[in-house]
Amino acid sequence: MRKYLFIIKTQIMSNLQYIANILLGFIGYFIMLFILFNLWDYLYSSPDELINGYNMNQMTWYVIVTEVLWMTLGGRKLCRKISNDVKSGNITYNINKPYNYVLYCLSTHLGDVVIKGIVYTFLGMLTGFIFLGSFPKLNIISIIILLITAILATTISILLITCIGLVSFFIEDSGPLYWVYSKVILVLGTIFPIEYFPSILQKILQYSPVYVVSYGPAKLFVDFSMDNAIKVIVAQLVYIIISYVLCNLIYRKGVKRINVNGG
Amino acid sequence: MLMEVKNQIKVNYLSFKYCIMREMLNKATFISNVLFMILNNSFMIVQWIVLYSLKDNVGGYTFKQVLLLWALASGVYGVAHLFFKKSFHLSEVINNGKLDAYIVQPKNILLSVITSDIEVSAIGDVLFSIIVFCVSGFTIKRFILFIIFIITGGLILTSVTVILNSLSFWFNNADMIADVGDSLMTSFSTYPDGIFKGLTKVLLFTLIPVGISNYIPVKVITEFNINLFVINIVVCIFLILLSNIIFYSGLKRYSSTNLMSARI
Repeated sequence: MRKYLFIIKTQIMSNLQYIANILLGFIGYFIMLFILFNLWDYLYSSPDELINGYNMNQMTWYVIVTEVLWMTLGGRKLCRKISNDVKSGNITYNINKPYNYVLYCLSTHLGDVVIKGIVYTFLGMLTGFIFLGSFPKLNIISIIILLITAILATTISILLITCIGLVSFFIEDSGPLYWVYSKVILVLGTIFPIEYFPSILQKILQYSPVYVVSYGPAKLFVDFSMDNAIKVIVAQLVYIIISYVLCNLIYRKGVKRINVNGG
Repeated sequence: MLMEVKNQIKVNYLSFKYCIMREMLNKATFISNVLFMILNNSFMIVQWIVLYSLKDNVGGYTFKQVLLLWALASGVYGVAHLFFKKSFHLSEVINNGKLDAYIVQPKNILLSVITSDIEVSAIGDVLFSIIVFCVSGFTIKRFILFIIFIITGGLILTSVTVILNSLSFWFNNADMIADVGDSLMTSFSTYPDGIFKGLTKVLLFTLIPVGISNYIPVKVITEFNINLFVINIVVCIFLILLSNIIFYSGLKRYSSTNLMSARI
């Protein structure tokens, strides 16, 4: 465990050198937020109007939280890195190291997103406050629980994207699979809460990754309840176990297919 | 002059053909890239189905007009990334001193650089745009206009990208400015202009010319207006000329590195 914590620490130290890049990256996040804010401002005839149980403030905060989770993640970069490692044969350098490759990917990427997560959360909250003039009512315990769910959500996302990246062992380029995964999360959980979809789809979504990586934490932020928090955390823990086991299965099956010539 | 243009077109055609042939070496990857991009774009339509279940009209657009907007956005993006992919990486080419290989060729340098690579998934974008266009309402007249507009839009997007990336001749971190510009152009292009107000709307028709490349075409295809059509063409020509002027002004400041590279 200590070696993985050390990897996280090293990545954090390395990322501290690129604060300016992280701040510039926030512009992309801000553009998306600005567009969605305008969209909801247009759709809501008054701030108190309820659409599928959400008023305008709740809807905007929902999008801010889901976008922070999504934009912080940098999933495309992670998927491309794993895919390139597999395609180029670089993964052989990792095989003979005394660590588990899946945990190595997880700790490296967690280290990468820590600074970005802190900066984006702060700027996202500030942007929301500028747009709306108020914060949702939260106490210190709910904030701690929210942070835990956000960390768990990021961990699950990294593991799921690692799974997709490792599929490169079997098909040459797993990028297209990532596009589809990202759009599913974006449309079914980031832009809209699941209450916006037909009731049959809602039931399916409650058991899908959308619930644990996006909807769950954001819903808690806009409408916190302890019952819901426990439900979200339990679902996230189950998903972490499932996705970790799946990653290792794909890795073990895939690594047997490696055939590297030269170097 | 005419011979020169003919030769240039021939060179660009051959460059495109060989890029396609190279990418098709692995047919499975080629086809999956195209198909998954169509699927990827299709998911975004779900967003609009949900929004139109709440209201009949979003930003002054009917559902069919939003489909048309998506067809144009996808087509414009597809044309720019399929034929001029390297314009989106021009900063990297300039910063790494990789322009040498193009400068020594007796052909148009800018065109040679930006057409030297293709984005396979952009074929999926173009196909998706045609499918969505047909769903939004097909007539021959509308289709001809649509093709004209995805070409002019692609050229506008490429020109803006070339202008921003060419700033690398003067500044070190111009690639970040170019990324922001690219992000602005693509993000705004899929939302109706009616949801934006005031200064944002002005910017969308001036500094960030999404209004010219995407919003005006929706209006012209829905109800033909010669003035708007001419504006689209004139702005397209203006931006092509401007991007050429800026690139070649910057090229005078270019200095090579000792990096050895070969175009394969």
